[in-house]
Amino acid sequence: MGETARDIMDTRLYTLHPRTPVAEAAAILRRAREELGRPVFGMIVVDNEGKLVGMASMYDILLLTRPKHIHIWGEMADIDATGIIREACLRAKPILVGDIMTTNVVTVTPDTHLLLIVDIMIKRHIRRLPVLEDGKVVGMVYLSKVFDYFVDQLIL
Amino acid sequence: MSIIDRESVLRGLTVQEAMRRLVIRSTYHAPLEQATRLMIKYKVNALLVTDEEENGIGVLSKTDVMAAYYAEMAVDTPIEAMMTGPPLFCNLRDPLDEALETMRGKGVHRLYVSGEMSGKATGVLAYPDIVGILYRYCYKCERSLTRRRGAQSSIPEAERLKVHEVMTPSVHSHAEDETLFQVMEGLSSHRLGAALITARDGRPSGIISKTDLIIAYRHRVAPDVPARTIMSSPVLACSQSDLLCNAIQTMIFSDVHRLFVYGEDTRQVAGVLSLTDAARIRSGTCRACIATRLMIGSGSA
Repeated sequence: MGETARDIMDTRLYTLHPRTPVAEAAAILRRAREELGRPVFGMIVVDNEGKLVGMASMYDILLLTRPKHIHIWGEMADIDATGIIREACLRAKPILVGDIMTTNVVTVTPDTHLLLIVDIMIKRHIRRLPVLEDGKVVGMVYLSKVFDYFVDQLIL
Repeated sequence: MSIIDRESVLRGLTVQEAMRRLVIRSTYHAPLEQATRLMIKYKVNALLVTDEEENGIGVLSKTDVMAAYYAEMAVDTPIEAMMTGPPLFCNLRDPLDEALETMRGKGVHRLYVSGEMSGKATGVLAYPDIVGILYRYCYKCERSLTRRRGAQSSIPEAERLKVHEVMTPSVHSHAEDETLFQVMEGLSSHRLGAALITARDGRPSGIISKTDLIIAYRHRVAPDVPARTIMSSPVLACSQSDLLCNAIQTMIFSDVHRLFVYGEDTRQVAGVLSLTDAARIRSGTCRACIATRLMIGSGSA
């Protein structure tokens, strides 16, 4: 079956462990971005056996740094909040990836058709999908790569 | 219309102007472990529990998860075993003061907001959301207590308020070697969000909040371990003679809802200051309007 996840999946895998602290996860995200030459906003989380246990994304990290009571002090424009982002990041650094990751991860197989992948990404608001074969992650499909594939077809 | 012409500073405002649209939810059959992760991740005190069609059928709060921990229930127990319900709903266009009256009358900290389809939540309204909006309006209101009191001075009253004028002058504490069972009993019987933990010489050595307890539950810490095992340390505190604005700044920077307050003797804690009370008082919230006559509890969304 042509035009499947296998055709566009990225097999260069970067992973996090549930016990990786957020500060280390941020460094891994940055390193991946430099090595891949494109923004990396999320990664799969695997356990000691290499089994997929979750996904950690930019959104998860931003949620962690968002102050709990922002809806109160956000109104207090008369309070000086200079330096609060630095403080929020210092608090977030030691938190473990396992405590903030998303666990209900949607996956596909190498043989999943690209149109089905498009459908999943649209319906579930997902930008990246791990590709599983025999229970192991063998690749990642990114929305940008899916779109690139369609653009190639559109301009033929 | 100027703010002071309003009988209530909240008059004319609707629920949709104060609510948050992000409703953290989970299905009734998901395990408590997952609910705990959502509470930690989204920094919320409760989840909306839904059926498969996303209809709200219950609420699971940190207190409920703590009760499961106390009862030594497994972390993979389904949420439905601990949820309470049904959730209370209001509508997007309901007057805000009417929603507040419902919360006050029913003794709940939050209302879910239904949209076009009954039973489906499109938002959530909790006390802290209203405290925030009160701050916006009361701070500008000419009837504001702080504005009136400060009228004779070049320094605004809000800048001169001291911590001892706002704090609650009593503190619930547990000894470091008491078990988590005992701490949970204390929090439950006093309806508190956190307790002070003290060393053998009586000095404050840490804090245990409901959040600390649900994290311990998720990490499968046995509830018979001593309080010192999971307490947060050092104790975030200020002096009762500190300016309120500095104490608020400390809470904001530390992302905490409360500060313990030292008295004259800095080895002893004399009271506790909550962010919601501090914000209300600093805003100058007065009793000129019905809607602002709120006794805000320590609970939040």
